[in-house]
Amino acid sequence: MLLRAVGLAKSYRGAGAEPIPVLRGVDLEVKAGEIAAIVGVSGSGKSTLLSVLGLLEPADGGEIWLDSERVSHLGRRAQARMRGARIGYVFQSFLLISRLTAWENVLLAARYVGRDRREAEQEALRLMERLDVLHRRGHYPAQLSGGEQQRVAFCRAVLNSPPLLLADEPAGNLDEDHARVILGEIRAQARERGTTVILVTHRAEAAAEADHVLRLQGGRLEPS
Amino acid sequence: MLRALWPRGYLFTVLGIAVGMAGLVSLGAMAERITRFIDGGDRFVLGQISVAGEGMGMGTGFTAGGLLPAAKIAEIAHVPGVAAVQAQVMLPLSTTTSHFLTLTQELILGIDLSVPMPNRHYRALPVRAGRFLRPDDRRAVVVGADFAASRGLAVGGTLPLGSLPFTVIGVLDKTLTAPDRFAIVSIEDARDLWLRRDPLLVQVFGSGAGGLGRRDLNSGAAVGWAPGVDPDTLARRIQAEVRGVNVTIPGELSRLLRTSTAFFSALLFGIGALGLVIGGLSLSNTVTAAVFERIRDFGIKRALGATDLQLLGEVLGEALRVSVGGCAGGVALALALGFSVDARVFREGQQLFLFSPRLLLFALGFALLLGTLAAGYATLRIARLSPAEAIRRGS
Repeated sequence: MLLRAVGLAKSYRGAGAEPIPVLRGVDLEVKAGEIAAIVGVSGSGKSTLLSVLGLLEPADGGEIWLDSERVSHLGRRAQARMRGARIGYVFQSFLLISRLTAWENVLLAARYVGRDRREAEQEALRLMERLDVLHRRGHYPAQLSGGEQQRVAFCRAVLNSPPLLLADEPAGNLDEDHARVILGEIRAQARERGTTVILVTHRAEAAAEADHVLRLQGGRLEPS
Repeated sequence: MLRALWPRGYLFTVLGIAVGMAGLVSLGAMAERITRFIDGGDRFVLGQISVAGEGMGMGTGFTAGGLLPAAKIAEIAHVPGVAAVQAQVMLPLSTTTSHFLTLTQELILGIDLSVPMPNRHYRALPVRAGRFLRPDDRRAVVVGADFAASRGLAVGGTLPLGSLPFTVIGVLDKTLTAPDRFAIVSIEDARDLWLRRDPLLVQVFGSGAGGLGRRDLNSGAAVGWAPGVDPDTLARRIQAEVRGVNVTIPGELSRLLRTSTAFFSALLFGIGALGLVIGGLSLSNTVTAAVFERIRDFGIKRALGATDLQLLGEVLGEALRVSVGGCAGGVALALALGFSVDARVFREGQQLFLFSPRLLLFALGFALLLGTLAAGYATLRIARLSPAEAIRRGS
C-alpha cells in the first residue's frame, strides 16, 4: 500500500494560551513493503504524526492518501472501518485491555471488522505460537511480562494482515532480547508480506533496518 | 457461560448499584405498606354503607352513632335498592384505650352470620388457617393476622375476651389493613361481651324498657346495595326515608378518610421521592463513572476499528447486565433487611415493609432505564473524543 501525506498540520491548544503547533506541513511518501523510520527528540511530535497518519486523531490541515483513496477526509464511520481493516498499531505502552485475556485481546482486532471468527482464531493461534505467547493466552495483561505483552499486542496489530503498520517506539519498554524479537517481526511484515511500515524509534538498530530514516524537526520531516 | 454473561471488573460497580437500589426498594416497600393500609381502608368504606343509630354512641370502629335497634334494621332493609343489611357490634378490645381512636385499633367485631357479608369488596375474609365463623358458632373467634401474631395465637388456642374464653377457630390471611387487628365473633357473643362491660345496659335491656331486647343491641349495620345501584344515592335515600339513623355516604367517607390520611400520603410521596433520588443518583453515577473509567479501553477499541454504534451497543449491553445485576443485589439486600426487621416487629403484630411485585418490577424497570440512559450519555460523551485523545485521557 502506498501511504502519502501532504502538508499535514496539527496544533494543540494550551490552557488559555495560543495553539502550540506540532506539525507544520509534513510531507511523506512510503511505498508498499518499505519501512520508514521517524526519529527526533522527545516532544518533537513523532507520536502525534503517527496518530494523525493512523487516523487516530484528525489533522488541522493537509491530506492523507492510502493508495488512491483520500482517507483523511472520510467520515467517522468510514475512518473506523479503515482503521480496523487496513491499519495496524503497535504502541510503546502496549495498550492491552486489562479486563481481557491475552487471547481475547488478540481476537479483539477481528471483532469490529466482521471477520469470520473461526478463521480469525486460526490466525491468532498461528501468530501467538510464532511469537511464543500461545501458552499465555488465558492470562490477563497484568500477569504477563513486558516482552509478552508487546508480543501479544503485536499479534493483535497484525491479526487482520493490515497493509499499513504503525509502530510507536515498539521496543521502547523492552530489554535487548525482546526488542530484537519485535523489531524482527516488524521487519518480516514488510519484507515477507509487503506491509508498509512507519516506525517511530530512537533505537539506532531499528532505524538501521529502515529504507528511509526521517527526522521530525520543527514540525517538518527531513531526511536524516 | 456465566463468564460470557458477566463483564469482568464490575464487582464494585454492581455493589454500588446494589446499595442504591436497596435504598430505593426498602423505602419503596415502606411506602407500599402505607399505601396498602390506606387503600385497604378506602376499599372497605367504599364497599358498604355503614349505618348507626342517631346520637353520639360509642364512636368505635367504622360506625359512629347511637344504638341501632332491630326495627331500624328492618326498615333499612325495605328501602329500594338495599340488597342486604348485616347487624354489627364493634367494641374496642381494650376499654382503657377505647377513646384513643388510632388507625391500628384492635377491635372485637360481632357480625350477624345469618346475613351474607354485604361489603362488596370483602364478601369473604381470606382465612389462612382453620375456617371462618358459621351462624351456629358460639364462643368461637376468628382473629386477624397481626392480632394472632402479637399473641402467638393459632387455631385451637384459647383467647379470653372479657373474661370469657373463646376458641380460636380461624386465623385470617394478612390483609395489611384493619381486619388484621380484628377479633371476629358472632353477634350474640359480641352482645354478651358488651353487656358484661356496661352494667347500665344490662338494666336497660334486661328490664325491657322501651320495648328493647338483645336484638336491639347493635352498634351499627353494614348495608349492601343491589347491582346497578349507586351507593351514594342509596345512602342518601336511607337517610331520607329512615328516621333516626346516621348514614355514612361511602364517597364522602372515602374523601374524609383520604383527607385524614393526607399526612401519610405526603409522607409516602416524600419516601418515594427520596428513594428515587437515592437509588437514581447512585445507579446513574455508578454506571457513568464505570463507563468513564474505561475511556482508555474505548480509545483502544476505536483504534481497532470499532464504530460509535458498535461501542454504544457494547457499552449498553454491559450497562444493562451490570444494572440488572446491581438491581438483583439491591433487591436481595432490601429483602434481607426488610424481612429481618419485620421478623423483629412481627411479635408486636406489625409489618413495616411490603415487597409487592409491582414494586420489584418498577425497581427493575427503573434500573434498566436509568442504567441505559447513564451509559448512553457517558458513551456519547466519550465518542466525541478521537481515539488518541481517549487513550491519552485514560492512561
